[in-house]
Amino acid sequence: MSAEVQTLFIQHFGKDSNRTLSYYQSQQSGYVAAKTVVTTMTPDQVIEEVKKSNLRGRGGAGFPTGMKWSFIPKGGDKPKYLVCNADESEPGTFKDRDLIRYTPHGLIEGMIIGAYAIGCKHAYIYIRGEYTREARLLNEAIQEAKSAGFLGEKIFGTDFSLNITVHRGAGAYICGEETGLLNSLEGKRGEPRVKPPFPAISGAFGCPTAVNNVESLASIPHIIRLGGEAYSKLGAVEKSGGTRIISLSGQVKRPGLYEIQAGSKTLRQIIYDLGGGMKKEKKLKAVIPGGSSAPVLTADEIDVIYDIEPLMKIGTMMGSAAIMVVSESVDLPKLLWRITKFYAHESCGQCTPCREGCHWMESILHRICHGQGREDDLDTLTSLAGNIGGKTLCALGDAAAGPVASFIKKFRPEFEAKITPVVRGQKRYA
Amino acid sequence: MPKCTIDGKEVEFKAGENLIAVAKKVGIDIPVFCYHPGLSVVAQCRMCLVEVEKMPKLQTACSTPATDGMVVKTQSAAVKSARESTMEFLLVNHPLDCPICDKSGECDLQDNSFSHGKSTFRSHEERRTYVDVDMGPVIEKSMNRCIHCTRCIRFGDEIAGIREMVAIQRGNNTDITTIDGLPLQTEYAGNYSDICPTGSLTLKDFRFKKRAWFLKKVPSVCTGCSRGCNTELQYENTTVHRTVPRFNADVNQYWMCDEGRFLFRDTQSKDRVVEPRLGAVPATWDQAVESARQIIATAKSVVVGLGSDLSLEELALGQTFAEELKKAGVAVTLGSLTGAVITTEQDQPLDALLRRADKTGNLKGAENLGLKPISEQQSAKAEVLIAVTGGRVRVPASNGRTVAIGVFRAQDTEKFSVTLPLAAFTEKDGTYVNFQGKAQKARRAVVPAGKSKMLGEVVMVLKNVQIAEKVGA
Amino acid sequence: MSTSVAPQESVLSPKFYEAMKALEPQYPRKTALILPALHQAQSEFGWLPKEALEAVAQYIGVHPAQIREVASFYTMFNLKPVGKTHLKICTNVACVLRGADDLVSFCEKKLGIACGETTPDGKFTLSEEECLGACGTAPAMMANDDYIENLDIPKLNDFLERSQHER
Repeated sequence: MSAEVQTLFIQHFGKDSNRTLSYYQSQQSGYVAAKTVVTTMTPDQVIEEVKKSNLRGRGGAGFPTGMKWSFIPKGGDKPKYLVCNADESEPGTFKDRDLIRYTPHGLIEGMIIGAYAIGCKHAYIYIRGEYTREARLLNEAIQEAKSAGFLGEKIFGTDFSLNITVHRGAGAYICGEETGLLNSLEGKRGEPRVKPPFPAISGAFGCPTAVNNVESLASIPHIIRLGGEAYSKLGAVEKSGGTRIISLSGQVKRPGLYEIQAGSKTLRQIIYDLGGGMKKEKKLKAVIPGGSSAPVLTADEIDVIYDIEPLMKIGTMMGSAAIMVVSESVDLPKLLWRITKFYAHESCGQCTPCREGCHWMESILHRICHGQGREDDLDTLTSLAGNIGGKTLCALGDAAAGPVASFIKKFRPEFEAKITPVVRGQKRYA
Repeated sequence: MPKCTIDGKEVEFKAGENLIAVAKKVGIDIPVFCYHPGLSVVAQCRMCLVEVEKMPKLQTACSTPATDGMVVKTQSAAVKSARESTMEFLLVNHPLDCPICDKSGECDLQDNSFSHGKSTFRSHEERRTYVDVDMGPVIEKSMNRCIHCTRCIRFGDEIAGIREMVAIQRGNNTDITTIDGLPLQTEYAGNYSDICPTGSLTLKDFRFKKRAWFLKKVPSVCTGCSRGCNTELQYENTTVHRTVPRFNADVNQYWMCDEGRFLFRDTQSKDRVVEPRLGAVPATWDQAVESARQIIATAKSVVVGLGSDLSLEELALGQTFAEELKKAGVAVTLGSLTGAVITTEQDQPLDALLRRADKTGNLKGAENLGLKPISEQQSAKAEVLIAVTGGRVRVPASNGRTVAIGVFRAQDTEKFSVTLPLAAFTEKDGTYVNFQGKAQKARRAVVPAGKSKMLGEVVMVLKNVQIAEKVGA
Repeated sequence: MSTSVAPQESVLSPKFYEAMKALEPQYPRKTALILPALHQAQSEFGWLPKEALEAVAQYIGVHPAQIREVASFYTMFNLKPVGKTHLKICTNVACVLRGADDLVSFCEKKLGIACGETTPDGKFTLSEEECLGACGTAPAMMANDDYIENLDIPKLNDFLERSQHER
């Protein structure tokens, strides 16, 4: 990474000793921002600062964090909850895991500030069940912070108190959806809820709740430290502030995490400059630019600025900033089958189009990949994707439909090659 | 009042009403599966998607409250295509066993498929199948037919108060079931079948008995307890085949208990006495009436007990009959025959939903007519006890003779001098006053079984005989 | 109100009840303890036998069906016994792009079982797993609670050999 690029997180990644409180305090001015907030700012001032920062949710939807917090009603009898979404489950995404491993205190400090801003006394970190070690590390960090007086009663000598509980998931992608997550936190099946009411009005345990991604919350101390405006200016495009941690994986030479100033690079630059180009110098065939639910891009489409709006303009999305790079050697129908199988497996089964449709698409793709494709299959798939997209209870339907529609649209010949035409009227199956 | 526009029609609504309810007011039916007005809204089936102006996506009408000035389209091309696609998804895994399915003819899936589905089928995949568990005596489960609307889960959890029906596994494999073959514990299991929009949960009692389209329907009131659940008797010719609850916001909402639901089976019992008897021996009406008349005529004191399970009309008739006996110079004690509960004060709820302690349908009505409970002593001492019942009260033991008019079992008749069989609740019109004081009308479904008669007819023949004798004397 | 000591007849250890008691004040509703309780119960058995699920139901105070419904939703809760080492190989996109399919075939061949099965000696259960969130170090797998990343066949072979000879 070139020297002039300003990064907030990544320079601290990679060394286990960096996760301690002493490192965080000495090298990252740890808990100074929280102290400033709790002792000198009003909750509204905090929200205003975060709004100024143009921080957009890092979990995938890209909703402005400051705005989200401002929806939490002021006052009222009900407790308010801040819930950190550490379910990190969109295939291709692995940034939150390293954030937790190397700057757990950054997350905790962000949560202290967020909780202060919305009036929360007990916050939860919902972490995916597989991250057993990370859950343990978080609990250790929470204990450290508690011993140092940053958590618990009367923080920084004020009336503000906060406790954080780490709540482990148990293997369900859908718990990354915020209302599925809240149901899971409440001890139910992780089935998404009907909205409205939105969590800001009725979230965890029926109380006003803000659900924020790990990276979003970990960015908060930096926003306070730098000032909202300065943080915003880190972004190279108008609407997105700060930096983005990119999860780069697949067939590149150097997969891993990279942090860029938001909107400062094209997809090509990320793959070739940061990722070192294609593994074994193979030809690039396709890029999945925002987690496996993002509609696929061809090798010709990668000169796009890697940020929310530019990607949206070309019909895909940035999602959780997870880029998966696919070379010429990959069988795309099989890859699409794999992606669709995932969504069919993770569909909660509540709503009709997702429960029935994802499985149906998966069955068709399975047939195609196993030499039993039919001539009408591709049209059926495209039509099914259209019938699922936009009609489901939560975004999982869209996540499943996007790849199917885009793969077939952009790489149709590869699919057709797998389907042997049959003479009309001839029976295909024995 | 705020107004919105649905398919060009302006509708007034109350704040908080959803689009399904609002559309209904102007005669627009939005198709649904998971939505049930008595249960929480989950917006899962996606059948009720409608177009709402200024909203980019189609919205589920069940979960969208109407707002002032809202413009809704339920017949646009986008809506029609969404309904078609939802129907297609639901039928991908639904078996085509309508010919042998009990729900056929009254099935929401069938009806919505007819109205909103496509006539073509695109799937070449194998259908999903399940192994069913037994769920006890009331409900038969056929999971292959299930469309995962979760009404049953919500009914159990929210209404019956027991989360025994649950979703196991997830996604395409979701099984809606009880666990480990546990029988359903709720006393309200029959409702699972009523609310199931397909033939997934059917009544064991009704299974393979009658095609739904042959059933005639008549509004009735359950006489199984003082709740007075509004019901519908479904019958063909002389046979009632099923009771289902009928909506009444104040009394029973959409529900009824299993005891009430299967009450009509008692009237069809082989054990029911449907011909007059002298002691336990069958007799003709002439013989029995003659004998009853003589027993009454020779008595100096008579106790007339009217069951609180009779209709208001029958109670009033019984009262008049007793009054007339007095005029003939007989000392008459008139009162109410009751079950375990003898006054409305003792009548407590048995659970949080519907069931009540008084197991007769008209105790409040009997009290309103001024009837008091007859004590054990009164009946024991009576020279003659005339006991009139609808089959839900116990006839007290008497040292004298008993003329029993009502619905009885064979073993009851042994201790009676005369038994005159009456029409049961499915066989007569009548009014019943429930514990809330509501007078509710029940209609007759079928003709009285065997030789049983209406109480009016019985009283007439008894009185005719007396009058004739007086005139002759 | 809380059960501070283990009921005599419970199949769960006193440790379970102690752990739960410590967690209780952290949630406004007891039902929120269902997931932590299932994790804790599973740590005692390696899987969740019916008796354990019933004990959890009793502890939480809900119908056993409600516990089953929750447990069966999450893939990490084993409702059937698993081997001493539960291998979960990620076969999602990023791992497949870097050879996860070969790892699965290798394991199947070496252990003589198909995915979803347990070896007759009860030492290994093999599963295909969805994305583990270790795409930058793909291919990855979990062996019980531990991640093993940057896998290749020699590394996997070493691991299997070592686990085979443990106890």
